[in-house]
Amino acid sequence: METLAQQLILGVTNGMVFALIALGYTMVYGILELINFAHGDLFMLGSFLALTLIKVFDLPTASSATLLLALPTIAVACAVFGGALNWSVDRLVYKPLRSAPKLAPLVSAIGVSFIFQNLGLFWGGLPLFGSAKDASAQKDVPALISNVNLLGEGAHLRITTKDLMVIVSSVIVMVALYVLVRHTRLGKAMRATAQNPAAARLMGIDVDRVIGATFVIGGGLAGIASVIYALYINTVHYQAGFQNGLYAFTAAVLGGIGNIPGAVLGALVIGVVRALCSQYIGAQWEPAVVFGMLILLLVFRPAGLLGSHVREKV
Amino acid sequence: MLKLEGVSAGYGAIEVLKKIDLEVRAGEIVTLIGANGAGKTTTLMTICGFVKPRTGRVTFEGRDLATVPAHEIVRLGLVQCPEGRKIFPRLTVLENLEMGAFTREDQLRRSPDGKGLGGAALRHKLRTDLERDLAEVFELFPILADRRGQAGGTLSGGEQQMLAVGRAMMTKPKLLLLDEPSLGLAPLIVKRIFDVIETLNREGVTVLLVEQNARMALKLAHRGYVMETGEVTMTDEASVLLADARVRDAYLGE
Repeated sequence: METLAQQLILGVTNGMVFALIALGYTMVYGILELINFAHGDLFMLGSFLALTLIKVFDLPTASSATLLLALPTIAVACAVFGGALNWSVDRLVYKPLRSAPKLAPLVSAIGVSFIFQNLGLFWGGLPLFGSAKDASAQKDVPALISNVNLLGEGAHLRITTKDLMVIVSSVIVMVALYVLVRHTRLGKAMRATAQNPAAARLMGIDVDRVIGATFVIGGGLAGIASVIYALYINTVHYQAGFQNGLYAFTAAVLGGIGNIPGAVLGALVIGVVRALCSQYIGAQWEPAVVFGMLILLLVFRPAGLLGSHVREKV
Repeated sequence: MLKLEGVSAGYGAIEVLKKIDLEVRAGEIVTLIGANGAGKTTTLMTICGFVKPRTGRVTFEGRDLATVPAHEIVRLGLVQCPEGRKIFPRLTVLENLEMGAFTREDQLRRSPDGKGLGGAALRHKLRTDLERDLAEVFELFPILADRRGQAGGTLSGGEQQMLAVGRAMMTKPKLLLLDEPSLGLAPLIVKRIFDVIETLNREGVTVLLVEQNARMALKLAHRGYVMETGEVTMTDEASVLLADARVRDAYLGE
């Protein structure tokens, strides 16, 4: 029973990080029907920035009061970085292809993904991280957040400060996103544009700006996710974007691509399934189980868990 | 009010409009009739800035629309109720109508009325204006009031058309462009929509109506234009066109 509960905690915590990445996939898809394959690698670059800032400001020696101020600042910096980078990629790469067939921006996104991975490799070779020969090696992130059990060290169940940090910060970000999408003018414009760009333009919505804003928000979420991930998993690697991105993308599809609550639900499901699988079946089976589940679900519910194909009457 | 002078436009290598001239004067209902593929929808898309004219000029109240981006055109008081409704399927009826008021906030901020207002007073004015205009739409289309919480995509075709007209009304247009409002609808509902168009016109909205149903359109309109393969081939008082042998033959099925 305790093992099960423990795996659920692990699953939910991991799922939260996937969710923050999955939101960026799903929001861009919702508005452009583009799968932004570079999104996972954007997340990876964010984690490199987080580690760089941690090293530059020598945070391992800082007091907890300083950390309490520094870590949110790093999260904001990475969010700005992710948002700005994602926006620039849209302007430079995807926007010129807006009226091209859907395959053109998709292939370009794969290209951007490779460029980002190489940037990550280059970044990992900077003197700050040691020898350039080890550019492709995994980098350790200092343990800045304590791993003590909040329930007391003798308890059977472990919920650590780290787990709490992941869950609380993710939930704050998700609530902020929810408020933005449901209750602001920009959110209204985003929903309208996703549903019918031509009609949105007729109503006076500057569709190009809405698309730009979507890339900024999606990139910002990936930036925040990258800080949380670096502090939680304690490693950074130039290929980390690929695997995490793939799981996050799967989460977005599982929940119903284009659907914001769906991305969060899909990510939590994947997080929990992975945790249970590694406990009861074996860690080597994780990808097979997760993707097998995706295939099965898509056979029976092609639109995903929360996705709906509203049949539009004509 | 609206003037097209020698406008040619098209998509890629295909030229759809060939130097067309068209004018809509304030207070009129003007209809544009013609067969499928004559260029009626392209004419409306060119007016709305979705298709840029290759030659000629589109002016609205004396202002050249060439440099106005498509999303700015609604702010000038020109709105299109597009073919196939194009409502927002997953927004509720109420939210769809509110989208029609999307530009109001910044318009009010810039207008002399709104300049001096503080945040709370501005929001109050926006809210009361919105309530008043919603009430107006609901009076014309009571069914929309009953369905206000329902997703737009779940409405019937006729209700969606009413919603599209209502949403266009919420932009407070001076000139309303309607593309095939009768398409695929039952005669009773078409009559309802046409009655509303007439009411709106009496209240001061100028209308440019594109229609397949030439008889109904010519009965409602003051003047008409006939389009054939991208050219305006005839224009006259609607009653004259209605009696014209060629029009009767080609478009009224007699």
